[in-house]
Amino acid sequence: MKRIAILMMALLSIMAFSQAKTQSKDNVPEYQISGTGETAAQGTYMVKVSVLVKKAKDVSDDVISRCAVHGVLFKGFSNQNTRQTQKPLAGSPSAEASHADYFESFFRPGGAAASYADVIGTSRTTTKSGKLYKVTTVVSVNKDQLRKDLEDAGVIKGLNSIF
Amino acid sequence: MILRTLKMVLLLATTLLPVSMSGQAKKPTIMAVPDLAWCKANGYVTTTNYQGRTLTTPDYEKALMENFDLVSVLTKLNELMADRGFPMRDLSSMVGDLNRAEIEDEMTVSTTSGAEIGETALERLQRRAKADIMVNVGWRINSTGPKKSVTYLLKGVDAYTNDAIASAEGTGNPSFSAEVPVLIEEAVIGKMDQFLSQLQRHFDDMAANGRSVSIQLQVFDNGSGLSFEEEYGGEELAEIIDGWMNDNTVEHRYSLEDSSENFMKFSGVRIPLYNEKGRPMDARMFARKLQKFLQGTPYNITSKIKAGGGLGRATLVLGEK
Repeated sequence: MKRIAILMMALLSIMAFSQAKTQSKDNVPEYQISGTGETAAQGTYMVKVSVLVKKAKDVSDDVISRCAVHGVLFKGFSNQNTRQTQKPLAGSPSAEASHADYFESFFRPGGAAASYADVIGTSRTTTKSGKLYKVTTVVSVNKDQLRKDLEDAGVIKGLNSIF
Repeated sequence: MILRTLKMVLLLATTLLPVSMSGQAKKPTIMAVPDLAWCKANGYVTTTNYQGRTLTTPDYEKALMENFDLVSVLTKLNELMADRGFPMRDLSSMVGDLNRAEIEDEMTVSTTSGAEIGETALERLQRRAKADIMVNVGWRINSTGPKKSVTYLLKGVDAYTNDAIASAEGTGNPSFSAEVPVLIEEAVIGKMDQFLSQLQRHFDDMAANGRSVSIQLQVFDNGSGLSFEEEYGGEELAEIIDGWMNDNTVEHRYSLEDSSENFMKFSGVRIPLYNEKGRPMDARMFARKLQKFLQGTPYNITSKIKAGGGLGRATLVLGEK
């Protein structure tokens, strides 16, 4: 009986762990982000996002948009040709962990994250990279509105926060 | 019914009282000015002989009247700062104010020697503008054949400590077709986030470690013989003040930059953002605490506070009010 209980608990914890992993993977799959080096409109960033997936057809605009917003917030980006560098908008990658609940729903499929990005339709390319497909698209991220909304939500600090 | 109303009033009072007491930290003022190197490269400087030395100072009025690119850069900077809830002081308005101040100063001459007030245009601007952070902006147009690019520089300096608190610089993409004002605007927009993230770090540091201010102490030469070398209970006044600074600064962070029998200058003095009553604190209020300490026994020293006009500098002159 004791053995069965231990086995059940182990099974449950494995299931919980894999569930969490699946959720995070579903929300924001593996991706790379870099600056396009082009001049973006005021208040926006133009970034190139490459999403790595097993099935290229699974990469919708919504997925790409979420990856772009995630990258702008927590990774920052650069472009070697133009020496363009932008630091993460949220300050550091640890900001995601400190507001995990907020960002879990923010990056959920159909969540608010995708509304801050516009996929440039004509820019999509797909290449095979080992066993994965690399879907690359240029995305315009409305960073000013993104920052303002996250400041209002108290998730990131604004210049005015101590005054 | 009366009891219920009383309860409500009491509840409201206890809720609102801490809010009215705490307030918010005093917000620093920011002003953007063209960098001296830019002014020199574009011929917007004046040279004056001051006590045997040749001084080169920026001529902001001429620059603002003749260089439209400068006006548009300052306007764009102000727009971007205002978007982040931090509007800047306007240089053009300050220059107008400065002209009036210049007339006043020209009329102020010493009664004994007839000497005029010695002050450079930048010093006068800093005094009148009362900006806590000065942002120096400059750019250069680079040409390689038909291509043009802009090298842009933005530097934020604490007006009291002269610490560089934020900066951004870089060269934009070369372009065949874009006009120079467009390239400059792109540079301003492109570098602003980098600058603001460093400014944010400065404010975060201020929240964690207190505001950095500069406190000067002098003595009135009124024949009383008071000096910083005067002893109280076996300790010199300078040591006593140094000890007070150690006890009253955030994590004892300050440095005694200069000290003599008649003068003491403390810089990098980290003062708390709020006093014990929860009121926002600035250099003047901090100097007032020191003034009260020195007024007490056994020192019984009266003094006068001369605040520098901004949040970060105050002078305490000992000897009389």
